[in-house]
Amino acid sequence: MPVVLLERLPLPSLQTYSSFSVLLLGISLLYSHKLITEPLQLDANGTVIEDVGNITKNRTFGDEGYYSDMMEIMTQELMCIWTLINMAYCCLILIGKGIQRLAFGELRVSEQQHIKDKFWNFVFYKFIFIFGVLNVQDMTEVVYWSAWFSILGFLHLLAQLCKDRFEYLSFSPSTAQWTHVRLLSLLFVIQFTCSCLMLVCVFLGMHLGINTFCFMGAEVVLLMLKTMFVISRYIIHLYDIHLNTVWENRAIYVYYIELIFELGALAIDFAHHLHMLIWGNIFLSMASLVICMQLRYLFHGFQRRIKRHKNYLKVVKTMDSKFPVASADDIQTSGDDCAICWEKMETARKLPCSHLFHTACLRSWLEQDVSCPTCRTNLDDPREQRPLPAGPGGDVDEENVQNVPENQIRNHFFHFDGSRYVSWLPSFSVEVTHNMLGQQGAGALEAPQTSQLDEMGRQVQGVFPDMPLNLILEDLRHSHSVEQTIENILEERVTIPTTLSRTIASTSQATITTAHPLHDNRLSLAPSIAQAVTSSTERKTDNNNSELTVTSESADIASGVTISDTSSDVTDGGGCVTTGGRFSKSSTERETILRNRRNQLVANARRKYLNKHTDIEQPGSSIETQNSEHLEQFPAQRNT
Amino acid sequence: MAGSALKRLMAEYKQLTLNPPEGIIAGPVDEENFFEWEALITGPDETYFEGGVFPASLTFPPDYPLSPPKMKFTCDIFHPNIYNDGKVCISILHAPGDDPMGYESSAERWSPVQSVEKILLSVVSMLAEPNDESAANVDAAKTWRDNRPKFAEIAERTVKQSLGLL
Repeated sequence: MPVVLLERLPLPSLQTYSSFSVLLLGISLLYSHKLITEPLQLDANGTVIEDVGNITKNRTFGDEGYYSDMMEIMTQELMCIWTLINMAYCCLILIGKGIQRLAFGELRVSEQQHIKDKFWNFVFYKFIFIFGVLNVQDMTEVVYWSAWFSILGFLHLLAQLCKDRFEYLSFSPSTAQWTHVRLLSLLFVIQFTCSCLMLVCVFLGMHLGINTFCFMGAEVVLLMLKTMFVISRYIIHLYDIHLNTVWENRAIYVYYIELIFELGALAIDFAHHLHMLIWGNIFLSMASLVICMQLRYLFHGFQRRIKRHKNYLKVVKTMDSKFPVASADDIQTSGDDCAICWEKMETARKLPCSHLFHTACLRSWLEQDVSCPTCRTNLDDPREQRPLPAGPGGDVDEENVQNVPENQIRNHFFHFDGSRYVSWLPSFSVEVTHNMLGQQGAGALEAPQTSQLDEMGRQVQGVFPDMPLNLILEDLRHSHSVEQTIENILEERVTIPTTLSRTIASTSQATITTAHPLHDNRLSLAPSIAQAVTSSTERKTDNNNSELTVTSESADIASGVTISDTSSDVTDGGGCVTTGGRFSKSSTERETILRNRRNQLVANARRKYLNKHTDIEQPGSSIETQNSEHLEQFPAQRNT
Repeated sequence: MAGSALKRLMAEYKQLTLNPPEGIIAGPVDEENFFEWEALITGPDETYFEGGVFPASLTFPPDYPLSPPKMKFTCDIFHPNIYNDGKVCISILHAPGDDPMGYESSAERWSPVQSVEKILLSVVSMLAEPNDESAANVDAAKTWRDNRPKFAEIAERTVKQSLGLL
């Protein structure tokens, strides 16, 4: 709630704020200048003279001692101090902005949100720390602590940004080298600054005692850990990208780095909070409550992590004991790539069902399920019912946990709420119908057991080896009998999905082989015009034209599909870009190809649809269209 | 995690581009984020959705292929197995653990050997043959069972809409 309120505060823009700060600084400088040069005026104001009692001489600008006096006034006058502090924050923000511009460019929405959350979170906890735990009364001390935490918070936010950006970049196959360099160097700068801050901590700790040292140092260590973590992941990622072969041990390294850093960070954070609680010695206050909650949260995180690690170790043990490393012969004879990562197998593990996988791939799968990914054979030994996650309990990756609750809520919605609340909430009647549907489905048509279904599926596939197994299973689920499904297939009620007409099929074939797909496409459309076009230059412009037409058309067809700036892009590639069947190495080209293929698909489907329907309604009209002179007059466009 | 997911997605994209199943196009529209794909699915012949081209978005998790992607149609589509917001509800898209409908055997669930192509083919067959036993859109399931002509009419409109002809 407070965050929402804070977001609604009319914060001034950075420009206004910095000019305001500069103005304030100017005023206070002018003020101290006046104080120095015209001390007589101040006689009327007794308090000021007391404050700056030692300055009585009338100095002029540039005098010896002018600057030292100036400094003295600026650091002694309360208003001037505040101005200076304000200016320092302003500089910090400006530096942050500059770094953001330099290293990140425009921030993405999620990054902004993250930063905002992180910022308020940090402010909240540090506020609690300074006023709740340390219970600082002296203004100077508050200022010192705030300064310390401001610097740390600043670095924290930068580190968070780096982390977010790194994760985002790892989603993209083609990132400029330069981006990586900038991000990594920023990370190293943060790391270096942290080391410097650590030195400051040690230095101050020697004077102020071990407690202060711990309070100051914990946050620095956390920050260092976080940065190190990002750096090491980043390096692994870059190494992996530049490596052309499969790096089999990668997963192990990543896993252990993650484990060590996460546990380390949690442990330090936990100790830090515990220290606060004990040192603060105030057990019945809001602050201690907040700290206790944080402790509980950290402890749970720790527990979860350990649990996950135990599960991991168990999986490793099971794999070592039960699934032997496949021999070179096995790999040779199977000849397949690993079905999980689609990469070639140098070494592999063999499951009892004789399916082969990379060790690392298999392990990460077994961490969340105990069946063979290919044939679903249960790999769990029935004798020892291990508590290995049959479902996404607390042991699965965080990613999984994140997307599971959503599904479970949905589940709730359909299964429980309806039946439970319907008697007094008639608005839920929709759910009731559904529930009945569900019960009917489960009760009347008892779905065959998995293994049974698989068995039946294999029988059917024995008869029709070309038929994909999933289609057979799909049909078997309805028919519940092998005979019935075989009959369905024979009578072509179950077919391998053929979705497009032959016209389009031939077009796409032409697309693969020729450099001017749309031209060919047009050939089949309007032969008379195509014959007229002979010279290659003309062909090229035509090609451009037709492509342009198609794209501008389909921009409104495919509502909800983002087709950005189609016309210019397509014109650029008009002469050379094929519309399908080619997998370019450059990502922009791939994007263009994909866009063109999509547009073409939509245009074809549209034409086909219209042809079919106009054929029924008014035969002959489509032929007329084909003979029309202008290319733009696709039958499709005429009807829009 | 994202590294291996990226490689796998790239391999799938390549395969889908070089060897596309008929009437299906899928790929990352903006390669800055390779984990957001868009797919076009053509309604299968001889079905109520024949000829329509339906856009859908696929969102992959960072640990893909260990977890399934999420699929959502970005156009209006009235179908028993598609939620009102376009989310597709088929068993292949459900992780082995979660079972929103409560009676799917794990054999039909997601596993890392599945792929985008298999998902899209399943969606095509789902368009051809709605499964009204595990309905995501109850209205659609009811219409499908009790009032076929009405369903056909709505589907026809959907097809026209998807082609921008309405």
